[in-house]
Amino acid sequence: MTSDAPALTRPKPWLLLAVTVLVLLSFVAAVFLGVVDIPAADVASVLTGSGSPEARSIILDIRLPRIVTGMLAGIQFAVAGLLLQTITRNPLADPSLMGVSQGATLTVTVFLLFTVYIFNPGSNTVAELPIGWLPSAGMVGGMAAGGIIYLMAFRLDLSPLRITLCGIAIGAVLHALAIGLIAGWGSARIEIILEWLSGSLYARTWDHAIFLLPFTTAGLAVLPMIYRPLVLLQFDSAVARSFGLSYRKQFSLALLLSCALSASAVGAVGPIVFVGLMVPHLARSLAGRHFPLVLPLTVVLGAVIVTLADLIGRLVGHAEEVPIGVVTAIVGVPVLLALLRKAP
Amino acid sequence: MDTRKSSIAIGLFIAATLLIVLVGLLPGAKTLPIEAVLRVLFASDGKIESILVWTLRLPRSLAAAVAGAGLAVSGYLLQALTRNPLADPGITGVTAGAVAPIVACFVLLPWFSSVYYPFVGLAGGLAAASVTFWVARGGNGRPLHLALGGVSVSLFLGAITIYVLLLAGPQSTALLFWLSGGFAGRTWSHLVHMLPWVGVGMVGALLLHRVIAMFALSDHAAAGMGVQLNFWKPVLLLLGICPVAGIAPVAGPVAFVGLAAPHIARLLRPSGTAWEIALTAAIGALMVTCADLIARAIAIPKELPVGIITALLGGPIFIYLIQRGRVGFKGKAG
Repeated sequence: MTSDAPALTRPKPWLLLAVTVLVLLSFVAAVFLGVVDIPAADVASVLTGSGSPEARSIILDIRLPRIVTGMLAGIQFAVAGLLLQTITRNPLADPSLMGVSQGATLTVTVFLLFTVYIFNPGSNTVAELPIGWLPSAGMVGGMAAGGIIYLMAFRLDLSPLRITLCGIAIGAVLHALAIGLIAGWGSARIEIILEWLSGSLYARTWDHAIFLLPFTTAGLAVLPMIYRPLVLLQFDSAVARSFGLSYRKQFSLALLLSCALSASAVGAVGPIVFVGLMVPHLARSLAGRHFPLVLPLTVVLGAVIVTLADLIGRLVGHAEEVPIGVVTAIVGVPVLLALLRKAP
Repeated sequence: MDTRKSSIAIGLFIAATLLIVLVGLLPGAKTLPIEAVLRVLFASDGKIESILVWTLRLPRSLAAAVAGAGLAVSGYLLQALTRNPLADPGITGVTAGAVAPIVACFVLLPWFSSVYYPFVGLAGGLAAASVTFWVARGGNGRPLHLALGGVSVSLFLGAITIYVLLLAGPQSTALLFWLSGGFAGRTWSHLVHMLPWVGVGMVGALLLHRVIAMFALSDHAAAGMGVQLNFWKPVLLLLGICPVAGIAPVAGPVAFVGLAAPHIARLLRPSGTAWEIALTAAIGALMVTCADLIARAIAIPKELPVGIITALLGGPIFIYLIQRGRVGFKGKAG
């Protein structure tokens, strides 16, 4: 299962245009549609700065922040997946398959449990949780999982495929720990943690978006710098070295970036599975293995997929919305299984 | 090891399991002295010690032993069937496949009697295993494909399980404890319900040891010796899933036992497939009773879920197996 060779086909710039239109459409759909029916004219007037206070609060304080948070998280998951797939030379790697998401989940869980004792003993509502700290809490665990992957790669000297297998084991262990901790000590917090664990954009505010923004921008800013190494990393490490690339350095940098992106996103919106796996694949199949196009397509599609999945979850479940993680799992798993079945 | 040594080894493991079961009768919210335990074991007197031992601690310890043996045999069968050293009820998605529909039944169909949960688990486990094996066939039985397929199936079912838990509301606490795997509060009736399912898997595997031994070589070898592949493959798969179907409703998911026990048994080189299966079962029983004892004794009076202990012990074994190259990749994939 070596990764795709770059630039086998002509780039298709019109693709970017088509996808951009798709983003706009999904964004518009997400703003205009929702559980509360607001006439299109009212939505439009809110967007131009007027409109009734009720419509304003629904759109500006509820819908827009969750859309923006979701888009940022989607971009982060997708780019993290692309990076992991590139450095492990395994087109099926994903933060949720390699233990990074589970690591972030574990530390966020621990943090949520500890806040009972530290910040506000006795209270039990989402609003009182120090939610701004969640991405940082997720970072700790996601980075630790990344550290384990790094050790496996260079201390144990495992091949990329074996790293993937070990990542699966580490993910299983960390997941068991998280579930065990919730069961043992969750008590009154269980429902809150469960909701976060199912991957949800419910009740996400501008605070979440603002917390994700630096990670997204920093990640996207670093990407062009490691763009050439990324292309080379798709080949064997020996090939990369022969091009004068420090394999170890680039591997570490890409791993670090990938873990930071996915871990902070897990902290903000919960472990949304399969976005990191699906989106780069979709991008590759659209862009015809042309890496310069795969990268921006991954970014854009990451935002679209999460926005659409959230919209589906909101509309299908109506008042009891279906968590976005469930939607991406239901959509993503058949895709993944079909890909796996086809993989050489 | 010859036959005599193999039987001695099995005897030793069973003796060790019984010893751990006995030791497990001592600690708890009220720690009992060994004389009291021995006294009530042989002459139950209806006093508090007797109730602690006979209704609380003995059934759960025995349930742990039976579940361990069942999970180990299940892992053995899955590994033999796929000729994949990483196969195990957890990795192949069988456990998640058994657990998810049981959770759904519990929450969405409350009138559905828990007596039938093993059948639900069996159906779910079979469905999950079919998907995983269908995916793994695309990779020609490479461990990576099996693991990725199984883990995706597990993630998928896990996402749905969490969603159902959300719908469950206040019930979710009890369900979560069950989901983290353990034997707290398990009674004789739990043990009795689990026993036939584990028994079917174990007895079936022992009776079919010749077929299993041929499968372990290759499909060609098995077919060449007159084994009907299309008949025996599903039968062995069913036998491998039966114990999990029986254990899941009682203990929830207990990870990595099915993976580790067969490998440890093979390290001891018993004299044949039947002995290997029996040894695997004995090792599994010892592993889970030990994990259960640790889970109870480590944070008295609170209990840790057994699933945490087995995961913490089994995860490193998994990585060791991969690192030591026990997992051969076919072709270029290494």
